[in-house]
Amino acid sequence: MRGPLGRDVEARDAVAAVFREEAPRLIGALLRQIGDFDLAEELVQDAIVEALEHWPREGLPERPGAWLMATARRKAIDRARREARGREKLALLVASEPAPAGYEPEDRLRLIFTCCHPALARDAQVALTLRAVAGLTTAQIARAFLVSEPTVAQRIVRAKRKIVEARIPYRVPEDPHLRERLDEVLAVLYLMFNEGYLSSGPEAPERRELARDAEWLAGLLVRLLPNEPEPLGLLALMRLHLARADARFDDRGELVLLEDQDRSRWDHAAIEAAGRLIERAAALRRPGAYQLQAAIAAVHAESPSWEATDWRQIGALYELLLGMLDTPVVRLNRAIALRWVRGPEAALEELDSIAPELDGYHLLHATRAVMLRALDHEAEAAAADRRALELTSNPAERALISRRLEGLA
Amino acid sequence: MKYMLMFIDGGQGMPQTPEGQAVYARIGEWFEELHKSGKLQSGEELQAARTATTVRFNGGKAVVTDGPFIESKEHVGGFAVVEAADLDEAIELAKRWPGGGPVEVRPCVDHSEGT
Repeated sequence: MRGPLGRDVEARDAVAAVFREEAPRLIGALLRQIGDFDLAEELVQDAIVEALEHWPREGLPERPGAWLMATARRKAIDRARREARGREKLALLVASEPAPAGYEPEDRLRLIFTCCHPALARDAQVALTLRAVAGLTTAQIARAFLVSEPTVAQRIVRAKRKIVEARIPYRVPEDPHLRERLDEVLAVLYLMFNEGYLSSGPEAPERRELARDAEWLAGLLVRLLPNEPEPLGLLALMRLHLARADARFDDRGELVLLEDQDRSRWDHAAIEAAGRLIERAAALRRPGAYQLQAAIAAVHAESPSWEATDWRQIGALYELLLGMLDTPVVRLNRAIALRWVRGPEAALEELDSIAPELDGYHLLHATRAVMLRALDHEAEAAAADRRALELTSNPAERALISRRLEGLA
Repeated sequence: MKYMLMFIDGGQGMPQTPEGQAVYARIGEWFEELHKSGKLQSGEELQAARTATTVRFNGGKAVVTDGPFIESKEHVGGFAVVEAADLDEAIELAKRWPGGGPVEVRPCVDHSEGT
């Protein structure tokens, strides 16, 4: 024992950090041994409750993970005596030899791949990953996605039931399938991050906690799969966005566009560190869409001013990205760069070519408005802005577009 | 674990064209391979959806009507019951289905468990 922790915030954070590292490992190990997601989670909850009783008084144990595992096993024995439910499965756990730490190195990785299995609906993948891997409560997930707690609980219950009933395997996919399944995991984490970074709902412009949870998960994935370049790319991309987060809103909580942001408020140390992640990914010599998006974000982040932005390089990176991921949204983002490489007419032409597919996406119309205004088509620009306004409920975006319509921005 | 793979098509059976015959031959190979691996429990190709008859129960009384149970452009055109270790293996078999239409993968209830 390291001595009592006291009641200060630091101690509480230390305990929370231990839970965050150890809980998914523990759930993963128990799931491997008993094959029951619910029961595994309940045992981990039992162990955490016990830890919360002991650790603040007695201090963190030397090996908190082993302590939690031993406690979970003890709780399993108690439960097997007390109730019939799951008795056979608990017996498996009780009978198994406790390995030195009780863990296998891949337990958390298996858990991530199971939670993000493509046979689960995307919203269920997101909820299950946040719950089982990042340790969020159902209430926290509900708040983050602006849905009711019963809705989240139901998504999680259904997903777990499908895992058991359809026998979704609990393992890390092997080589021909690993890349494809990894893409699925990265898509789940990126959706999580984007929802936190610029939320789609009306209550708050951002929920940075959720973005940070997604970043933590991406960091975990990088630690678990250090030789895969795309998780590195995604992590760098998230960190580059977060490094600029403080400058994105003004004192009134309104959105500040990249060109107007105070770059001295960016976290330049974090930007440099993200640059090193991109280099580490590049050294693996397998380029990918997240690495390229991170590289584009890095060109912006490393530019000393808006005016000094290297648009040619950004344009070239977008060409490479299109070669790998030709989606209307990538074309939309490239159009913004096109304005500075080949002018607003070229950008508008590109936007019009994707307009049918993105008609329901507010940023298509907001971007068209910018190009139309640059070409002095004021009436059409206003019409496009009004259409954008109809399509977004994010308060900061609405305020920005409204100001533009009033001719104030 | 047993899974049923349900092959969805337009309800017309395979077209009598060279292309249709080629797909038909590949479907035969798919079944043959599965059979050789010992994973095929059973499988059938169904006649066109126009041959379907549905029996419904209306207040306990059986009512016979012409046509499949659901009005749709897509129908189950055949099925295979396979033995697979888990959903991933069943999905892999479905991914190799040469018929071109969607394949619904459903686990079967295991009545041997807990008895």
